[in-house]
Amino acid sequence: MTRDELKEHILKKYDGLLTPLETGVFDLMFEVKPANLTRVARMLRDDEQLKFDFLNNIAGVDTGEQFEVVYSLSSITNNLRLDFKLVLPYDEAVVDSVKDIWTAADWHEREIWELYGIDINNHDNLKRFLLPDDWDQGFPMRKDWDAPDFVRMPEL
Amino acid sequence: MAELRTEEFMVNMGPHHPSTHGVCRLILTMDGEKVVAIEPVIGYLHRAIEKICENRTYPQCTPLMDRFEYVTAMASDHVYALAVEKLAGLEVPERAEYLRVIMVELNRIASHLIFWGVTAMDIGAYTPFLYGLREREDIVDLFEITCGQRLTYNYIRIGGVSRDIPPEFVPNCREFLKKMWDKFSDYEGLLNENPIFMVRMKGVGVLTPETAIAYGASGPVLRASGVKYDVRRNDPYSVYDKFDFEIPTQPNGDCYDRFIQRLDEMKESLKIIEQALDGLPDGDIKCKVKPKFKPPEGEVYSRIESARGEMGVYIRSDGTTKPVRLKLRGSSYNHLMLMPEISTDVLIADVVAIFATLDIIMPEVDR
Repeated sequence: MTRDELKEHILKKYDGLLTPLETGVFDLMFEVKPANLTRVARMLRDDEQLKFDFLNNIAGVDTGEQFEVVYSLSSITNNLRLDFKLVLPYDEAVVDSVKDIWTAADWHEREIWELYGIDINNHDNLKRFLLPDDWDQGFPMRKDWDAPDFVRMPEL
Repeated sequence: MAELRTEEFMVNMGPHHPSTHGVCRLILTMDGEKVVAIEPVIGYLHRAIEKICENRTYPQCTPLMDRFEYVTAMASDHVYALAVEKLAGLEVPERAEYLRVIMVELNRIASHLIFWGVTAMDIGAYTPFLYGLREREDIVDLFEITCGQRLTYNYIRIGGVSRDIPPEFVPNCREFLKKMWDKFSDYEGLLNENPIFMVRMKGVGVLTPETAIAYGASGPVLRASGVKYDVRRNDPYSVYDKFDFEIPTQPNGDCYDRFIQRLDEMKESLKIIEQALDGLPDGDIKCKVKPKFKPPEGEVYSRIESARGEMGVYIRSDGTTKPVRLKLRGSSYNHLMLMPEISTDVLIADVVAIFATLDIIMPEVDR
């Protein structure tokens, strides 16, 4: 299945659940409503023609205006690639866990919880692991967080 | 005789255990000699590379990528360069792509040689370590005459490579390839059929293909479980579609198969390097990149096949000189995650074997 066929298939079959975005410069990029996340994830994994069985990466992003969570998927069976993202306003920073669908999400979600302070629903193992156990200085990957000795590089 | 009172107890393995390949702590719950549960504790090497990159321009991030995965620093430079080139739509000259492939494949062999020696050493055989490092030295010498560095190369840059290879590189490299082909009979004769080694490795830490895919295992670990998947073949990048090479797989997915898998992969890398040297075109080694480099707005997840598995980088650009977000994905992260899954109900000595054959290095986990 080529990239265009994949896009067509998704738009036809999952109309309204995945909205195509133009920001993905190389692979397809879609936007998913946070409430639909587990439903979409399960469908992408179980669809016979897609079978997105491999979760490559989950990246939390703080754009300065909102949080985003970017999921990168690939299908080993059908050799496909696709990204989708959730947009979360700062005051509603909660996502559902997709650990039941792809076990690989476990630590990626823990990392987002720890470094961005985005809450993960239905995750049974939310414990600190990258930061020290007694860390109490907030969420270091947020844009408004700087280390005490931080010096911003001047704009070139 | 009164009945013996037994209870489970906890053993702390690491953070400074010699076989943990970095600074990793494993909390083992033991029932006598049997491991009941494992909990990896990471973060001892966390250097906040991703946060630092947000305050640096794109070219300034390249040296940090060397520190992300220093055993195959060429590969981590490569994945970053590819991602930024995709973002900015840069056309890299063909000679540069060929040089990148040669360097990355040489680095892959160097990494697998370390794996081969270190795994044997963790099991208790010291000789392979000396053999492996001897051959690795030749590769590192090749890197040194090319870019002056022996570990953190900073050679693959955005838009090409930092400098052309010196005239003696090609003959030296060919000589090394010839030497390396002859070494395999030594390597295979040393351990592959050794009865003690086989008892320690066969049937230990079996990883089924389904578990491997669910946990996001990739690279040699995934292929040793029988899944024929290689990013170089399934999602070709650079000039890998021009080379003829096999993707070896193993049937059982145990420690022994993961060990053999790396030996097989070294041979394929040698084949790729031979073809790349034969087809090395003339021409430029980098395309023009403006000093004030600004990729357009957008986001990309780019991935390559490094020695350990899929290495990826996610970059979000807002059209300024610095990335908004740069997320690094190392395969060791997923491999350490699946470690508790495949190492319950084994002996404590097998934990060392499993950890070694997953080829986990900690800087890639902590970043």
